[in-house]
Amino acid sequence: MKTTGRFFVLNIWVVGSALAVVSGAGVVIGFVIWRGVPALRPSLLFGSAPPWKAFWGHVPVFDGLWPAVLGTVSVVLLAVGFAVPLGLAAGIYLAEFARGRTKQMLSVAFDILAGIPSIVIGLFGFSLSLSLHRFVSPRIGPCLLLSGFCLGVLVLPYLIRAVQSALEGLPLSLRLTALSLGAHRIQNLRYVLLPSSLNAIATGVILAIGRCAEDTAVILLTGAVALAGKPRSLLENFEALPFYIYYVSSQYTSAEELQRGFGAAIILLTISLGLYLIALSIRHGIGRRVFYGR
Amino acid sequence: MKRRVDGLRSEKAVRMALATAVVTAAALTGAIFLYMLVLAFPLFAHGHVFRVLIQDWAPLQGRYGIRPMIGASLALSFGALALAIPVSLGCAAFVSIWGRPKPALFVRRFVQTMTGIPTVVYGFVGAFLVVPVVRDVFQAGSGRCLFSAILVLSLMISPTMVLFFIDAMESVPKAYVLAASALGAGPAEKFLWVILPCARAGLITGVLLAFGRAFGDTLISLMLAGNAAVFPSSLFHSVRTLTAHIALVIAADFQSLEFASIFACGVVLYAVNAAIALVAWNLRSRLLENRP
Amino acid sequence: MKRKTWFLAMLCMAVCFSAGSVFAGAYDAFQGKEGTIKISGGTAHIPVMQALAKEIMTRHPGIRITVAGGGSGVGIKQVGEGLVDIGNSGRKPTDEEIAAYNLKVHQWALDGVAVVVHPQNPVKSLSLQQVQAIFAGTATNWKDVGGPDKVIHVFTRDEASGTREVFWKKALKKGPVTATADVVPSNGAMKTAVATDPAAIGYMSVGHIDASVAPVTLDGVKPSVETVRNGTYAVSRGLYSNTKGEPSPLVKAFLDTLYSPEGRAIIERQGFIPVP
Repeated sequence: MKTTGRFFVLNIWVVGSALAVVSGAGVVIGFVIWRGVPALRPSLLFGSAPPWKAFWGHVPVFDGLWPAVLGTVSVVLLAVGFAVPLGLAAGIYLAEFARGRTKQMLSVAFDILAGIPSIVIGLFGFSLSLSLHRFVSPRIGPCLLLSGFCLGVLVLPYLIRAVQSALEGLPLSLRLTALSLGAHRIQNLRYVLLPSSLNAIATGVILAIGRCAEDTAVILLTGAVALAGKPRSLLENFEALPFYIYYVSSQYTSAEELQRGFGAAIILLTISLGLYLIALSIRHGIGRRVFYGR
Repeated sequence: MKRRVDGLRSEKAVRMALATAVVTAAALTGAIFLYMLVLAFPLFAHGHVFRVLIQDWAPLQGRYGIRPMIGASLALSFGALALAIPVSLGCAAFVSIWGRPKPALFVRRFVQTMTGIPTVVYGFVGAFLVVPVVRDVFQAGSGRCLFSAILVLSLMISPTMVLFFIDAMESVPKAYVLAASALGAGPAEKFLWVILPCARAGLITGVLLAFGRAFGDTLISLMLAGNAAVFPSSLFHSVRTLTAHIALVIAADFQSLEFASIFACGVVLYAVNAAIALVAWNLRSRLLENRP
Repeated sequence: MKRKTWFLAMLCMAVCFSAGSVFAGAYDAFQGKEGTIKISGGTAHIPVMQALAKEIMTRHPGIRITVAGGGSGVGIKQVGEGLVDIGNSGRKPTDEEIAAYNLKVHQWALDGVAVVVHPQNPVKSLSLQQVQAIFAGTATNWKDVGGPDKVIHVFTRDEASGTREVFWKKALKKGPVTATADVVPSNGAMKTAVATDPAAIGYMSVGHIDASVAPVTLDGVKPSVETVRNGTYAVSRGLYSNTKGEPSPLVKAFLDTLYSPEGRAIIERQGFIPVP
């Protein structure tokens, strides 16, 4: 029967594709773990410095990843600190107050912002720092603050979309009840809508954190360097995990450094996947079950 | 009465604040484009706009065209799509239609988690696993070439495409599929003649967004494609994409035409991205209109 | 006799004490100073910069030194624009650059630029013409120059590189570089690229050469610290640290360590020749 033949070929293709995708990613993760596990020791993070003192920053670390880890944490905090309030505000406006043509145009603008390649955003940041350097103060250059700002711009559209779809996804009955009881829109937002969509918004924030932690192209152009020590000032260069991995891949000078690169890859992979799994579980209400038992 | 008036006033204030936030965010979109244009201006003024896009890159001879980079970006994106589309389609079919419940769920969760793998890790594995293998197996070049980059990039864009395709396939109304079954169609026929055509708009949107992602990717091409600024003429030659060009030349002299060329790259990248966003938006709004 | 020995012992101790203070002397200049020194530019300089930074930062935690690469062009431009305090370059800044930015040039070492190949490559000696042909792309197979039948993989540096500029002027005599060569962004990257590819050829700073790559004898002269020092290896250049105008006290202290005995020891250890 003709159908059987076609069915068989399709079957092979479908199952084969699923296998290909799964094994491709499996090979990537497996390779990183295989090469990186031997490097998982305290000296990976702290080099030759005593771990406890280096952890608190009393002793500088030179051949360890600790400054890079601190750098990544700092830049992510800055980015999220900038993007979450702005994204929340913009998302609320889009969901609650924008109508018709304005809403359409704003949606398109944010779609475009979401799709801008990360290196173009980095380029924008770099040229912004050039202008600021020339016209405002010669002390300004590519630095932690600039990287934080640019990463914020990178994840802003995702946050806006998350907030917007969270609010718009609430059932109509929920949205109207408080209003019908006489509350005005701000009260409705503050006491009803936002708390109900906290789950979805939290998911969006966590995904944004993950996106900031793993991005390399933006920080490559706006302040990440290979050696800078722990981040001390907003206006200075900093180290970061993804930058370290990129740097090591093309210019490792010893087998030990390459090993550290794999170790860094494991750490970054763990952070990214860990954050992603947390976000997934929040979306599936696991948090609620943990906290409220239902 | 008093409470209501206060409420209105505070609502106006909050509304103003929110509107300002939105305008700032939207303004960023425009500001980025403006910066690219303004800083690319020396190049556009020095030679015509078309000359920049059509010439080859030979700074020592005074030619600052980005044609090789445009060619490389297109070749890499289309190549990665060519590899990734059939595989993602098949994988999505497995998860949403074909596979048995348990493996299908496993693959779905796995692919969802895969989207969290950092790009730089893909590039790192590519540099130490794919490049030596390509160099030894194909014996043509240093291993850092278009082919290696295509392999890794197609793996990277697959998860997002798979998830998009799954969404598109699952939103085909069950009634259509059941009707086809009632008429005697087998699984293959249902898939080919009912599900795929109905999910067409969602599938195309997924492909477009994956293309945008592939076109705008920096690290994989920077680490794996070799970075020679020549128009791609073979799968195993070293090439340099628009994005890698920006990363490489960023460190050059600020006022030179070389430096301005990276902003020309930025303009092209931005324009392509905006075009994709507009087309995808158009498709999506048409999709929403046509949904029964 | 006893007095003599006692006097000798005191003399020894005095010498040891003063030697000790001289030994720490180079880094003592930083005593009580605080601040940041931003360094960028030539990638050949990076190992020396990092080693010095480590010594200084361990002894004086109040001082922060950040080291970035980017190439000689970047170093000169960034220090000229005031983005960094020290801009390293592997080529002497041109007169226009010095005039435009009011640069003060400090040379602290001599370095060579050597052609390198993979250690397993049997071809260890080339003439200047052969090198020019290989990099121009006219000689494409190792068997054309007496090696195995393998396609030559050419690696070159990015446009901002001082190493590339010197190599292009002095070895290639301003000849063409094939556009199909792989481009790598630093000396370290060049070393990694050549060390991992048996058919590769590239060029890099003599100071960066270690067991993972093999230097190529050029027209009979083997590139090494000695041949660069006595001038028989012609493809050489100085390593410069440039500042915009006179350096600030903190930056001056850093530059002085480059000329101090400890600094010279570090420079030698990295494979360069300290300026006398």
